[in-house]
Amino acid sequence: MNKRVLQIFSFIMVLALALTGCAAPAAPATGGEAAAPAEEAAPGDLPRNETLYVGGLQWGPFITFNPVAPQITWPNGETMLIYEALFGYNVATGEIDPLLAESFTMVDETTMEITLHEGTTWQDGEPLTTEDVIFTFELGKTNTDLDISTFWDYVTEMTAVDERTLQIKLNPERLNVGQVKHFLTRTSPVIPKHIWEERATGDTPISQFVEENPIGSGPYQVLDYSTERVALQRFDDYWGKDLFGLPAPKYIVHPIFDSNDTGNLAFQQGRVDLSQQFAPQIWQMWEDQGLPVGTWFKEPPYHLPGNIPMLHINIHKPGLDNVLVRKALAYSINYAQIAETAMSRYSDPAQPSLIIPSGGEGALFNAEQVAELGWEYNPEEAVRILEEDLGATKGSDGIYVLPDGTRLGPWKVLACYGWTDWMTAVELVAQNAQEIGIDITTEFPEAPVATARRNAGDFDMIIWTHTGASPASPWARFRDALDIRGVPPMGEVAFWNWNRFEHPDVPALLDQVAASSDLEEQKALYSELDKIYLENIPTIPLMYRPLEFYEFNESVWTGFANADNPVAPPQQNYGGIRGYFVIQPK
Amino acid sequence: MSKFQRYLVNKLLWFILAFCIALVLNFLLPRLIPGNPVDTIVAQMSAGGGVSGPALEKLYNSYIAEFGLDQPLWKQFLIYLGNLSRGDLGTSFAQSPARVQRLVSEALPWTIALMLPAILVGWIVGNTLGALAGYKGGWLDRIVFPTSLFVSSIPYYCLAIILLYLFAVEFDIAPTGGGYGYDKSPSLTIPFIIDVLRHYWLPFLAQATIFIGGQAVGMRAMSIYELDADYVRFARGLGVSDNRITAYIFRNAMLPQVTGLALSIGGLVSGGLISEIVFSYPGIGTLLFKAIRTSDYPVIQGITLVVMVGVLTANFIVDIAYGFIDPRIRAKASGES
Repeated sequence: MNKRVLQIFSFIMVLALALTGCAAPAAPATGGEAAAPAEEAAPGDLPRNETLYVGGLQWGPFITFNPVAPQITWPNGETMLIYEALFGYNVATGEIDPLLAESFTMVDETTMEITLHEGTTWQDGEPLTTEDVIFTFELGKTNTDLDISTFWDYVTEMTAVDERTLQIKLNPERLNVGQVKHFLTRTSPVIPKHIWEERATGDTPISQFVEENPIGSGPYQVLDYSTERVALQRFDDYWGKDLFGLPAPKYIVHPIFDSNDTGNLAFQQGRVDLSQQFAPQIWQMWEDQGLPVGTWFKEPPYHLPGNIPMLHINIHKPGLDNVLVRKALAYSINYAQIAETAMSRYSDPAQPSLIIPSGGEGALFNAEQVAELGWEYNPEEAVRILEEDLGATKGSDGIYVLPDGTRLGPWKVLACYGWTDWMTAVELVAQNAQEIGIDITTEFPEAPVATARRNAGDFDMIIWTHTGASPASPWARFRDALDIRGVPPMGEVAFWNWNRFEHPDVPALLDQVAASSDLEEQKALYSELDKIYLENIPTIPLMYRPLEFYEFNESVWTGFANADNPVAPPQQNYGGIRGYFVIQPK
Repeated sequence: MSKFQRYLVNKLLWFILAFCIALVLNFLLPRLIPGNPVDTIVAQMSAGGGVSGPALEKLYNSYIAEFGLDQPLWKQFLIYLGNLSRGDLGTSFAQSPARVQRLVSEALPWTIALMLPAILVGWIVGNTLGALAGYKGGWLDRIVFPTSLFVSSIPYYCLAIILLYLFAVEFDIAPTGGGYGYDKSPSLTIPFIIDVLRHYWLPFLAQATIFIGGQAVGMRAMSIYELDADYVRFARGLGVSDNRITAYIFRNAMLPQVTGLALSIGGLVSGGLISEIVFSYPGIGTLLFKAIRTSDYPVIQGITLVVMVGVLTANFIVDIAYGFIDPRIRAKASGES
């Protein structure tokens, strides 16, 4: 009996092993299928000292390399390694840097002239000319689901003077050079007409085309892709090699991590060289662990600020419709604590202004006015406003009630579930408000739910950001925050100004500042707009967030740019690819 | 028509009815999730603050039309049925323009390769251990029973995380996640296969362990129950050999376990969800999880369809198989008793 059982048992174990043995190799076959276009597929490992691993720019498996699709697999769309835009937006200077285009001049107030670099060529050897550029932008005329369709709100005509020179006629009704510059950078990588012309006329919308073998003009081509990574290989006949040189890494690989944590661990272990992930308390990596890790600044805030997550207040709810209540709330919030904990020191304490005080917008920031009309963390002042200015009295539950009987709360502040920095920030806001006697609690719906409620104005308070730093900022941010034109009433879907703020002076001021090309005039106009903002407090800035986190680990590659050695801006997106050219293997 | 045939037809009709109801639910339930898939796409595009409001508005409207979300629900359902009858699962919303077929067929082999061997090994080893423990008792039972009970009672995600911590972080003999190393190009070469296996064994171990525990506990209880049954005593009294009796017991105790096996295989597609999330393993579970969080109706529908067909078919087969394995059921169905 025993022997028999043992026999059965051992047979089963052998069978089990055989089964697992058989099943496991089935897996790579599927991975292999997914990885279709390996032109020079290098089986096995890529040499580590020729491969740059980057992270934080691609989170799901491959969708498409089509640069006009709504979701584009890295590197297309933002990182100009395969397709290139005319210019790159430089997050350090706020200027636009030449990429495909050599220069940009204003012939007169409404005419822009752009010259392409000599010798621009597609990876298949065809010349890249103004015809390709015009083709790309004109796609926006017929395809309203493309990002660039809005380009034609600001531009009436785009014509080729010759193969190298373009002329853009601006719409005099909506004169806005910044917004047009914005379209010349990140949103519109130029695509080859000789390949895409046919695709643009088919039945399937061009945004739905699944591109697997992209032919661009940039210094890299796709090597392979799968559920685990996207790998690029350098294109050594890059048209710009005499002008810019060639980027150092022969291969660039973007592993697809399922969470920040796995990505951050890989970065810490030196298995990722350049990361764009939120990595909390990164200074510990060099201060405590002695790792060769760095960020743009060696000191807080470590990163360049790029946008302003704000507390959007529903200014049409009883209680919150009172600007003094909003002011008391603004005084109650501990901005330094939010910067320290929610943003892990990657932010200076938020200033009461729609302008980012440093970086490209810094010149427009009116510090005196902000000091005079703004607010800061001061709970005593908050209480004073509530009690003296408003005449509110504290109920038995510790919450203030206005003289007309309106209780300050219960209000909910929303943040998307899983967006941890925002969740922490609003948690602190609620705590601070409770401490002075305003009843605020938090609610964390899933992102699609929060978005829908934001658009419909269905919130008491919600944390969100406006348009970030770009060639069009801070104009776009002021428009997003203050302009009621084109915003439907509460309950319908709005795409900016979610709390439907309205002020009679704003539209004219916005149009004036958009058309202005004089820095002093711009500064004056923005100050006036910022004054309206400070007097009405429709939103409260909570912190600054970089457009992109820039973290490098020099275990394998060295020479990454930083604030002390600014040979390239701290970015992988928005057309800033110079960073790949300045590094060298250790 | 014999009574057994009638039994078969009856089961088949139930199968079809359940399939139709499930199909409706399949379509309806994802749409009951608050929030709208286009909002997700638009939110993602605006997250960095790069795309301007008016552009988002245009995008929003064209996507609502493109995905057919402006149509009344009954019309959307008819379109869904029409596409389904052509074997077309549609285009993902959140990962537009990726086809649902492609997403599912890319993920499915990973899940099957992980779950099927784990279920089979777990089932076979677990039942053998359980039967041994129940039948032999003594020291074997004292080891197997509490261990199995412990393993099958701790929440699976805890077990998975503990294993991950022990083997991947503390001992550092397994990777922390993924289907294979991202420094490898997928190819049918020995180093790559070794790398896949290196990533495979830990999630497999976790999944199989939990199965072994559950099956062993169930099988042990059944064996002990059967040991006490009248027919065993009777057989003993008749002096039937031990081996013979064990065979009887094994066959009888097996019945509920077979059901369990069939259902596990039927549900294996969704069974790997936690494993896949904890071990960052590619597969259907993670795909479904992501799709639900982004209200990606076509992907949710596509996956639940696969799960549904799996579970229903497994149930159907179990129903039929029972007729063969267990004469009592067949007898009852055909009115012999």
